[in-house]
Amino acid sequence: MVQKLVIYPDDRVNCTSTDVRSFNQTLWDVITDMSDTMKAYDIEAMAAMQIAYPYNIILIKEGDSYQEYINPRIIQNHDTFDSEESSIYYPDVTVTVPRYSKIKLVYEDREGTVHYKDIDDPKLAATLQRKIDYTFGGNLLDRVDKNKRDKIIDAMAGKGLMPLADDVCPTFSNKDYIVSFTDKLLILMGLSLLTPLFHFEKETIETIYSVDKFLFPAIVVLMIAFFFYAQYEAKKYKQCSSCQIGNNIGVIVKRSVAAFAFALGAYFLVNPY
Amino acid sequence: MARLVIMGGGVSGHTAASFARKWLGDEHEVVVVTPNSHWNWIPSNIWVGIGGMTKEEVTFPLAPVYEKAGIDFKQAKAVSIHPEGNADSDNAYITLEYTGQRKERQTEELTYDYLINATGPKLNFPATPGLADGHTVSVCTADHAVHANLELKQVFEKAKAGERQKILVGTGHGMCTCQGAAFEYIFNIEHEAKKAGVRNNIDIKWISNESFLGDFGIGGLHMKRGGYAASSRLFAESLYSERGIPWIIGAHVSKVEAGKAHYELLDGTTGVEEFDFAMLIPPFAGVGLKAFDKDGSDITDTIFAPNGFMKVDAKYDAGAYENWKASDWPRTYQNPTYSNMFACGIAFAPPHLISKPMSSVNGTPINPTPPRTGMPSGIIGKAVAHSVCDLIKEGEKAHLHEASMAEMGAACVASAGKGLTDGTAAALTVYPVVPDFEKYPGLGRDLDYTFGEIGLAGHWIKHILHHMFIYKAKLKPGWTLIPE
Repeated sequence: MVQKLVIYPDDRVNCTSTDVRSFNQTLWDVITDMSDTMKAYDIEAMAAMQIAYPYNIILIKEGDSYQEYINPRIIQNHDTFDSEESSIYYPDVTVTVPRYSKIKLVYEDREGTVHYKDIDDPKLAATLQRKIDYTFGGNLLDRVDKNKRDKIIDAMAGKGLMPLADDVCPTFSNKDYIVSFTDKLLILMGLSLLTPLFHFEKETIETIYSVDKFLFPAIVVLMIAFFFYAQYEAKKYKQCSSCQIGNNIGVIVKRSVAAFAFALGAYFLVNPY
Repeated sequence: MARLVIMGGGVSGHTAASFARKWLGDEHEVVVVTPNSHWNWIPSNIWVGIGGMTKEEVTFPLAPVYEKAGIDFKQAKAVSIHPEGNADSDNAYITLEYTGQRKERQTEELTYDYLINATGPKLNFPATPGLADGHTVSVCTADHAVHANLELKQVFEKAKAGERQKILVGTGHGMCTCQGAAFEYIFNIEHEAKKAGVRNNIDIKWISNESFLGDFGIGGLHMKRGGYAASSRLFAESLYSERGIPWIIGAHVSKVEAGKAHYELLDGTTGVEEFDFAMLIPPFAGVGLKAFDKDGSDITDTIFAPNGFMKVDAKYDAGAYENWKASDWPRTYQNPTYSNMFACGIAFAPPHLISKPMSSVNGTPINPTPPRTGMPSGIIGKAVAHSVCDLIKEGEKAHLHEASMAEMGAACVASAGKGLTDGTAAALTVYPVVPDFEKYPGLGRDLDYTFGEIGLAGHWIKHILHHMFIYKAKLKPGWTLIPE
């Protein structure tokens, strides 16, 4: 019987499937439902959990028949490659995930007989790895970095662009060093405003004011450098929202305004002349 | 006056002895027979094995603690059990051979009214040819861990000098348990190698008898996501990949030579893994206690399972995997033949595996055996002590206390690197330890009690637990308030 597909945001897909212990009519009925559903939706591969049966069963369409893998385990793996994948669980999502191109499986058939199989075809190996992830409560987004996963989830909720399969958004970039250094200089400028609270020698106050006079233009220069470097970096990551010009300008304006305010404060509060 | 004899002073035996002493009062006698002079908080041995702690930090002498508590301490190993006494007397007794207290090699007969077997395991290195020959190290005892650290530091030195080194960590036999300890050790090594600046010169590899990473001998733990629980396999694979540690699973290490581990895989193929340093956990077996009836006939087979662990109230004839039930697991840990004899911790014979049974095409069993360490071990020890105390105080009709691993949760905090600011540990809970497929259809586990997280806070918890449990074991004020 054709069953309803488990599709995002149905989170039953996160449930670990139990190993099949009894090889009887119940198992065969599940397999029949899986193949009926695969035919109805023209699906090439399926884990039982994708039609809400929490059993460790995978079906792969091979020609006109359906190869059954009961309780499969990957016992050997070799050579990784970037596999571009999509899944019926996340419609319209395509991501590139690292997979093994060669694997060895141990699995049982519908009678409970153990089999071993070498899979040398990278596409089939990747498909099996993806489906085995489902049997353990995982899905293909578990194999991409958190930043990208969050963006895809946001995009599916209508809160942003869907990232391209091969697009990468860095979680940390070199421009962050400039921002971090600038922030430290700003803290120094901010601290200098506390000078009037202490009874420093005039000479010390002059030194503090001189540092302030140096820090303000230094921060401006750093922000200009940040702008050009960020623009250069943004060209590499087309879909990275944190790399977009709006964000970069925001970073620059925020810090420039703070630097100007601290400079003004220093002129009135620290200035010994 | 009744005498309770406890064989073994590890986590389970020490817990049983401490509570029995507290509950029985002065009119009854509690005797602990253990070959070790020191108590060892075994979970912290992995930190000794990387030089993060000293042996003294994870052990303490038992004699002063027992003297203060009023527990009679005999530093000796139990050799045989005579539950019916002998030709001259009906009093049940054990024979023991001293290992310390200036009575080394002296033997003694010790009568008992009740006996708790908490001997723990024999580290069965000889089960794998070559594993006992010093080519590999272990972290199963504090002394082993000290030795492991010395060897590890040499490997780090060679790596520092530019010599590429290979490290292999995992299980040394197809029937091992304690994958968790090996898991912790490999990630602590990786963390230390990074800190020492030699990670790039060291290849680290995992080898185990699990059929999937993160099985841990209990068919995996679970990480809650949404209303459901994903398997620890996903978490484990991510962690191994992230730390650059490749793995060999479904492996039975069949032979160890200098620098080489030979293994057989589930598909029957064989392979050899070379190493400069290897920590391979040995399989466990019973400690080899013998049992004799009144006329001196050997009844070891009646009291002990073939693997040497003591038979208790478990269903040992459950049959094939599909017939396994949670109710097969023991509840009271009472020996079915002699009602005044109990077993707890690793010393009781489990009815069957928890993980899915697997064997290679050659028929070699390659699957993790059930862990009975840590939290379950302490809880069972306490329940057994409770039962014995009630039997002594209320007579033979007293209700026996129950602590089935199929109705018991366990919390596992697995260290993945030691450091106050850069340490990590995975904190996972599982309920029940043994899946109950009838009560919780599907996974056999209650997802309401499922939790999993990895991070620095986990490391702090692990560190705090280290101090808490040692405090508890020293029976310092308020020790009963600290849970098992």
